[in-house]
Amino acid sequence: MARKTVRTIPQDRATMPTQAPAVRAHNFDEVALGFDLDNALLESERCLLCPNPNCVPACPVNIDIPGFIEKISEKKYREAYDILTESTLLPAICGRVCPQEDQCEGVCPVGESLEPVAIGRLERWIGDMAIKEGWRNIPPIQANSFRIGIVGSGPAGMACAADMAKAGCDVTIYEAFHQAGGVLRYGIPEFRLPNEVLDAELENLKALGVKIECNTLVGRLFTIEQMLDELGFDAVFIGTGAGYPSFMGIDGESLNGVLSANELLTRCNLMGATSFPRYDTPLGLGKRVAVIGSGNTAMDALRVSLRAGAEEVYCLYRRTREESPARVEELEHAEEEGIRFEWLTAPVEILDDGNKNVRALRCQRMELGEPDDSGRRRPIPVAGSEYEFEVDTVVYAIGTNANPIIGQTSKIALNKWGYIEADDNLATSIAGVYAGGDIVTGAATVILAMGTGRKAARSMKTYLGIRDTASVYEETPDSGGDEIFGINPAERSHVRIRVTGTELCQ
Amino acid sequence: MEDTRYLFRRNRTWWVKVSVPKALRDELGYDLRCSLHTESLDEARKARDVAVPEFRRRIREARASLQQTRACKEPAMADDESGFLILRREDFSDVTFLLEVEAPLLARAAEPGQFVIVILHEFGERIPLTIADFDRDKGTVTLVIQAVGKSSCEMQQRCRVGTHLHALVGPMGFPSELHADKVVCVGGGLGVAPIYPQLRAFKESGAYVIGVVGFRNKELIFWQDKFEQYCDELIICTDDGSAGIEGRVTLGLQAALDRHADIDHVIAIGPPIMMKACAETTRPYGVETIVSMNPIMVDGTGMCGGCRVTVGGEIKFACVDGPEFDAHKVDFDELMNRLGRYRGDEKAALDNWKKAAS
Ligand SMILES: Cc1cc2nc3c(=O)[nH]c(=O)nc-3n(C[C@H](O)[C@H](O)[C@H](O)COP(=O)(O)OP(=O)(O)OC[C@H]3O[C@@H](n4cnc5c(N)ncnc54)[C@H](O)[C@@H]3O)c2cc1C
Ligand code: SF4
Ligand code: FES
Repeated sequence: MARKTVRTIPQDRATMPTQAPAVRAHNFDEVALGFDLDNALLESERCLLCPNPNCVPACPVNIDIPGFIEKISEKKYREAYDILTESTLLPAICGRVCPQEDQCEGVCPVGESLEPVAIGRLERWIGDMAIKEGWRNIPPIQANSFRIGIVGSGPAGMACAADMAKAGCDVTIYEAFHQAGGVLRYGIPEFRLPNEVLDAELENLKALGVKIECNTLVGRLFTIEQMLDELGFDAVFIGTGAGYPSFMGIDGESLNGVLSANELLTRCNLMGATSFPRYDTPLGLGKRVAVIGSGNTAMDALRVSLRAGAEEVYCLYRRTREESPARVEELEHAEEEGIRFEWLTAPVEILDDGNKNVRALRCQRMELGEPDDSGRRRPIPVAGSEYEFEVDTVVYAIGTNANPIIGQTSKIALNKWGYIEADDNLATSIAGVYAGGDIVTGAATVILAMGTGRKAARSMKTYLGIRDTASVYEETPDSGGDEIFGINPAERSHVRIRVTGTELCQ
Repeated sequence: MEDTRYLFRRNRTWWVKVSVPKALRDELGYDLRCSLHTESLDEARKARDVAVPEFRRRIREARASLQQTRACKEPAMADDESGFLILRREDFSDVTFLLEVEAPLLARAAEPGQFVIVILHEFGERIPLTIADFDRDKGTVTLVIQAVGKSSCEMQQRCRVGTHLHALVGPMGFPSELHADKVVCVGGGLGVAPIYPQLRAFKESGAYVIGVVGFRNKELIFWQDKFEQYCDELIICTDDGSAGIEGRVTLGLQAALDRHADIDHVIAIGPPIMMKACAETTRPYGVETIVSMNPIMVDGTGMCGGCRVTVGGEIKFACVDGPEFDAHKVDFDELMNRLGRYRGDEKAALDNWKKAAS
């Protein structure tokens, strides 16, 4: 068959149905409904199957993207799933929440003249199918006697746990909250990532033999050092996330009605505050809400506020839409839902109604000046542009700092911002202790957190002298006829056997 | 005639509205409405045809969920596998009660000054409680609770020996600093029980310990024997004078300060108004004074910032930077104001619950 070119492929992206904006702005059901079969097949046709694809190196975990898309177009969905799970633990999740436009889709040559291939949506489609069909890729596991402790059940912890369990270790995840999942649970709302999807991925972890202990605050209940010395863990991975929300330090921040996006989202997503009083946790959201910041957290806070009953919801950002760090899809969805954006605007003071509640924000208009270190143009206040803006709730979504608990309770080395110091192999200053995810990199993304979790697992295996993950996929000659770990050997051909030389994440 | 069913105009924009059946108005409000973000009637009609079925679906769901809540009124408490077993309960008064909970690791780790977070049942909120006692040998921690809001009243009603708390996590916060030669430990209201482990630890560290504890009246005094065991002097204060000094704990504190010029440390735990008064009592003496802050919390792990307090002009998160701070630097007025953040919701929840329970 002749190679496809941009001219021969379907020109338009296959459509993915979404809930109508006017409707979804009032419910917590998922917004993007996913491809149906026809559209998925149509979209898979749009991939040029580049021999030297740009997208693979642009993916933080180097998913074999043309490989899995080709399998979809061949209608070999299970094999597409096998290819995905070679690199990613959480396809149904990453397909939904990755910033594809900055990664794989951003470099796809199709995108030069048309919309790039909808890689994320295809990934999600396969991930969802796997959940529906109950597919699981559990390699034959040879148990060894190593015990691994994982601190934090976010994507970094989950990924490290999965790889160590596949390598045969006895793995326990400790989570401070009463439910596992990290930001995927308490941060990202259900209309973007339904709980069932996260639950299914956690079930997969359990099927690998990983134990998850909630209600365990590591550092305070026992320290990292105690995990090694007293609890008998051979190696420990720390993936405690960034947490610790920032405030701006302007006047009026202690007024009632000022809260962090983390607090708003935790109350709603984890504690059920939108169903108060059936759930005991109140929300106390006002009618006019201003969210400060324009990242993913801000988008979630905006859209949750709208769904929780706020009448008018504003996003204030000191730069412009172009600089907004949120996923483009989230921005578009927020705009469609009727969120109002005040670009080039920064608050300078929060004003009191006389009863210590928020009455208004005093804001300032900004303009963009010279680029700063990050390459983004620096916002500069416009003289004399101050004005009052009436709101009753102010939500801060301007970033987070390192969670301090592990640092407070362990001798582990931290950098000057309080994040855990880790080398290129994610080893920390304590032998046998590795760290990854937001607590090392600062607030980043799900896929990067997952990537660091996997990389830490590789280092851990080297440290413990265990052969690498890729090798557990290797079929040993004598495993021929017998059933291994309840897996029918015929079915085992579904476990793709491929020992790659490429680093899983760099 | 033009078809404008369910539609109305606000300024020039079309809105859609469906009225809610009476029985569901508590939950959904008088009607369901939203802006269609258009001034064109044609577009509005199209959007309406999507929105109305959706509103109907929400009304159906609300009705179903209301019926379900009526059917299973009580949210379930945890079972043996995931829950935390209550081994002992003691009632000190009609509002104050004690729970001793099995938690061996927690008992081993707990230090005076720390707190835990408890969730009563599957729909419960996260409630911070100062650890009132711990027994490393028995593997238990003790919590003393005052039934004031919905959750604590429900705990009072449902926490029986043999039942399980849905969640118990901790110990949280920094332990107390126990360096003092002569110390006054002041406990009032819900702070009486939490002052006990501090006072015991100070005694065990070799300090001279003066305890000051306040109750409403003689009948409500508890743990007097426990306090006496670890105090060199114990000053009891009652509001009505039926035992000890008549008046607030600050009078007891004042008496101790006047009697001993060499007091080098004071710690006060109780309602903010009491802690503030203690701070003002010791300020002229320049004695180092520590208070245990009890703001509204969610996670207790530094993640939400809901517990922020201002100390010496700086924002601190009480759960990870505290809970103990220098009393002379704390902004108590802000604390009291922020504690009132959910007053309306809390009252509604309590009334609602009382109505359902009766
Ligand atoms: C609202 C929001 C939206 C986001 N949206 C996106 C998005 O669309 N796409 C994207 O790629 N990224 C997004 N991110 C970023 C992404 O979620 C994070 O980068 C990622 O979750 C980091 O993973 P992690 O495993 O390092 O930590 P986390 O997910 O933060 O998990 C850490 C876990 O450790 C637990 N923990 C902390 N301390 C302790 C302790 N001492 N003992 C035990 N447990 C502890 C915490 O309770 C938590 O559950 C978003 C973040 C937020 C907050
Ligand atoms: S997704 Fe884009 S970059 Fe990747 S192989 Fe297909 S056409 Fe090439
Ligand atoms: S309770 Fe959430 S940060 Fe302290």
